[in-house]
Amino acid sequence: VTGQQTIRLAVIDDDSGFVTVLAKRVEAAGWQHRHLASAVPLEDLVAMKLNALLVDPAVLGEEGWDYLERICGMLPDLGVVVCTGGSTVTERVRGLRLGVDDWLGKPCHPEEALARIEAVTRRRRRARPQAEVGPLVAGELEIRSDRFQAFVSGASVDLTRREFELLALLAETGGKVLEREAIYQRVWGYAMAHGDRSVDVFVRKLRQKLAKRSPGWTYIHTHFGIGYRFDPAPAEGFRPRAAASQVLHTVDTAR
Amino acid sequence: MARLSLLPRDRTFFDLFIEAGQNALHAARLLDEMIAAWPDAGGLGRDILKAEQEGDRITHEIVKRLNSTFVTPIDREDIYGLATQMDDIVDYTEEAADFMGLYKIDAPMEQAGALTKVLVAACEQLAEGLGSLRDFKDLDRYWIEIHRLENEGDRISRDAVASLFSNGIDPMVVIRWKDIFAVLENAIDATETAAQIIEGIVIKNS
Repeated sequence: VTGQQTIRLAVIDDDSGFVTVLAKRVEAAGWQHRHLASAVPLEDLVAMKLNALLVDPAVLGEEGWDYLERICGMLPDLGVVVCTGGSTVTERVRGLRLGVDDWLGKPCHPEEALARIEAVTRRRRRARPQAEVGPLVAGELEIRSDRFQAFVSGASVDLTRREFELLALLAETGGKVLEREAIYQRVWGYAMAHGDRSVDVFVRKLRQKLAKRSPGWTYIHTHFGIGYRFDPAPAEGFRPRAAASQVLHTVDTAR
Repeated sequence: MARLSLLPRDRTFFDLFIEAGQNALHAARLLDEMIAAWPDAGGLGRDILKAEQEGDRITHEIVKRLNSTFVTPIDREDIYGLATQMDDIVDYTEEAADFMGLYKIDAPMEQAGALTKVLVAACEQLAEGLGSLRDFKDLDRYWIEIHRLENEGDRISRDAVASLFSNGIDPMVVIRWKDIFAVLENAIDATETAAQIIEGIVIKNS
């Protein structure tokens, strides 16, 4: 595998032999992968932050076509490759027309499956508009996805990767209360275990770092028993600089 | 009627058990504090390690004295058994603290805090009971309460482990916390075993 970037792949297939052989090659390639024995809710796929999905529609049952259509429609950044046995021309055409990126017939060599996933992912990355990585500005804060970092007046807030992802998620949904479970699922990529205080601990760390660089502003508000809301506001008695904005906005051009 | 003894009995064992009880309580309180403030109180791990070393010293002292004393105030096997259990409580407490760092735990689980609170309460009962051991009376309430606390610890631990096996939870979270819950439960179980030994001592000597 020649890709320079790690690919996050999920495989929906119950063919244990194929999945085992494929997993070995995927691991050797340094990709991250999850094996799913059956269809999972769309929001779970979102939380996994996948680049590609390899799916055998035979596992999906009667709702398989609808499921594929919803995935392709709602997750345009996800590369979807079907790998199944005994399909007809009509089925393959239908699948490709509803948004599947590639269609492989079983039996197939796992190396070929990997190469096709890689090709699909590569095309997705090339096609991604550059404006997506433009910074978000909130209060005195500039959140830059292209650098996985936030800045105040050009000085880095020194966020870790996870702290940045948490901040970016809260900022993207600015003004809306996000439940702890939803935050955990989106940032950690898994369901939150009952009683896990990870979200609270990371919000606390994030607040400390933000307060250090931008002491005149509060950014994250607690909704007790529910979760957190991102809404930049000047601290009491603090007069914001003219350049500072309370309104969250996206800068269109990438830096 | 007071028991008569023809040979002198070394009462130092009781003082050493009081020390062991206070040391176990100290370690349990440190662990409770550490988990409540995790990850900001990692430094308390060093204090818990010191308590574990102090526990080893007390146990060693009891065993050394046991080997050099001709007549003991209570049965030898009870002294040895109680010393070992008191040592186990502190060992498990230190192990739980150590796992928090070794497993690179990001944040605490509420159930771990609930378990350390049960451990502290059980150690409080044990420390008080050991303080009254030399009289061999009015100790029932301590082991009854420790038994109740041990049941509560079992329930919390079972629920905590069961919650880890809900769908979609990170397997690494499951592995880490299952181990930590097990060690905390072992520490609480050791308080109950110690209480059972005390119960036996009282029955034999009253």
